[in-house]
Amino acid sequence: MLLIEADGKALFTAVGIPVPAGVVVTDVVPALPNDGPFVVKAQVPVGGRGKAGGVVLCNTRPEAEAAVAGMLGSRLKGHAIESCLVEAAVAGAERYLAIMVDPASYGLRVMFSAAGGVAIEQSDSVEARLCAPHPGAVTEALNDLIANEPEAWRAQVAAIGKALASLLLEKELALAEINPLFVAESGCVAGDAKVVVDLNAMYRQPVLSAMIAARPTVYADACRKLTEGFDYVELDPEGEIGLVTTGAGLSMMLIDELTARGAKPLNFCDIRTGQMRGSPARLIRVLEWITARPSLKAVLVNIFAGITDLGEFAGLLAAAVTASPGLHVPVVARLVGRNAADAKRILAAALPDMLVTEDLAEALARIDAIVGAAP
Amino acid sequence: MIGTLSRTTPVIVQGITGRMGRSHATLMRAYGTNIVGGTSSRKDATEAAGVPVFASCAEAVLETGAVASVAMAPPEETWAAVQEALAAGIKLIVTVAEGVPLHDAIRIGRAVRRAGAVWVGASTPGLAVPGQCKLGFLPNVCLRPGPLGIMSKSGTLSYEVGYRLTRVGLGQSIWVGVGGDAVKGVRFADLLPVFFDDKRTKGIILVGEVGGSEEEECAEAFLRLGPRKPLFAVIAGREAKEGVSMGHAGALVHGAFGTLESKTKRLTEAGATVFGSIDALIDHCARYYRFDRR
Repeated sequence: MLLIEADGKALFTAVGIPVPAGVVVTDVVPALPNDGPFVVKAQVPVGGRGKAGGVVLCNTRPEAEAAVAGMLGSRLKGHAIESCLVEAAVAGAERYLAIMVDPASYGLRVMFSAAGGVAIEQSDSVEARLCAPHPGAVTEALNDLIANEPEAWRAQVAAIGKALASLLLEKELALAEINPLFVAESGCVAGDAKVVVDLNAMYRQPVLSAMIAARPTVYADACRKLTEGFDYVELDPEGEIGLVTTGAGLSMMLIDELTARGAKPLNFCDIRTGQMRGSPARLIRVLEWITARPSLKAVLVNIFAGITDLGEFAGLLAAAVTASPGLHVPVVARLVGRNAADAKRILAAALPDMLVTEDLAEALARIDAIVGAAP
Repeated sequence: MIGTLSRTTPVIVQGITGRMGRSHATLMRAYGTNIVGGTSSRKDATEAAGVPVFASCAEAVLETGAVASVAMAPPEETWAAVQEALAAGIKLIVTVAEGVPLHDAIRIGRAVRRAGAVWVGASTPGLAVPGQCKLGFLPNVCLRPGPLGIMSKSGTLSYEVGYRLTRVGLGQSIWVGVGGDAVKGVRFADLLPVFFDDKRTKGIILVGEVGGSEEEECAEAFLRLGPRKPLFAVIAGREAKEGVSMGHAGALVHGAFGTLESKTKRLTEAGATVFGSIDALIDHCARYYRFDRR
């Protein structure tokens, strides 16, 4: 999961990678590091902020205040902007430096480009080296990549690379990227920080888990996963179809198919029926989140039960629906697999209005009818 | 190793006295898998799911001659379980845990490669040769012997595909869940030669997901090896949210990297057929393999 820039830079600072002087602003702009110029940057956990208007260069304090006021409370690429980073603008030559886990080689990929900047991903100027997941191997790979850099700052870039490598290895990151890295004889500075953490390692990464827990609204999906033990991602707060589904791939495919039919899914969900252990609590939680959205028109339950006993699941679903006073929309259940016939009987008795089917096409047709989408 | 799996391949279950271990060992045996034993840290355990329980993999391998293992270990213990299995000489290890830390997966991958073994997982329901054996918990309702090789990142999405294939009378030759993690054991591209060399396999179904570059790698391998058998693909996550893992740790889109467009383009250029929905995939297979229905 991608951290916001301010958190990424806090990690950089802790390992000695220089970043521009700056403050995180959530309300009024406090004292600023100097008289300008400044860069005002929306703190949302998504790439491509610059092109989307989330990064603004401001010459004076009033300009910076206006930029902050314009950003706070608005949305950028689907994320609410809760804070801005106001930094002293840095000028100078730009470089690109990144280290990431390389899945195919079970190692690291070290990347460097003598041209930094926002268009780097589309350019082919990035050179890469694969190496073993050890700081010494990264140093060697990077030395090779920066061999043509001027003497004036080559050692500084190497030192930053070394710090970046130890950060990635110690914090078990998937990616640590600096773009742009400003280079100058007087000092090199990380203009941005793109850090992707591994949520599966949080149980042994106290600094990172505290960082995520400190921003429960910015990292809502991650916080939910860490506290609840299953996946729920809100896709569209104005969505119409709430999904209670199991399996990441099947849930994604269902979202794709619903969207292609003109319906608006509210959420992604991998509820993991195997972990419910006879309690409807998890189903009640998900129904609570789903029904909190006024745009909701229907709930679609889709469970492919390889191992789960659908008879038992049906009992839990009936209990959860009954225990959800906020649920005022139709529920359509597509249940297939082990003991599907039992499930159908149990739900027909408990909730006669619910469509229960083994056929996904039938369930989707009912959803189409409810939301008025063209089939 | 995957291509030669059969009902005689001796398999152990690591963690066989746990809730998951015991129930899945029983289900695997019922399917026909030659489960010859299991391991447990419980000192008092001598038997579980009808097979002997050993204190370590080394002992289990010595006593039973097992060559494959299904590790029913939680994510934080998966690395240790793999080390134990490799030290005992296990040649095929399936790790089912969801949520293995990324950097543990790197360690596992390097150790497996050094040992010359094969790793399937993590975050996988396992693999199966329908009608012969299954290592893991692929649901029986989806399994049926037939002409199609399946490889999938997602368990449930492949269940849906397998189930619908069986409903139109088609089955599978070899089915491998490669798992939804970014760093994993066997990858799509590694399986192409397995399916190409397998006489039962007449076509290959790739069930992909956004994130990572495995589908692109597979496209490249398909071109390089020569398209010896048809490759059909369906890829989930067209509407995935950027920057957030969609359930699977590996299903993470950043900018243009790992998108459905990139995967579809590369696979199509390599000669694979990419379908926009499961329905379309099944309809096509039903027509294409109409003489292979059973």
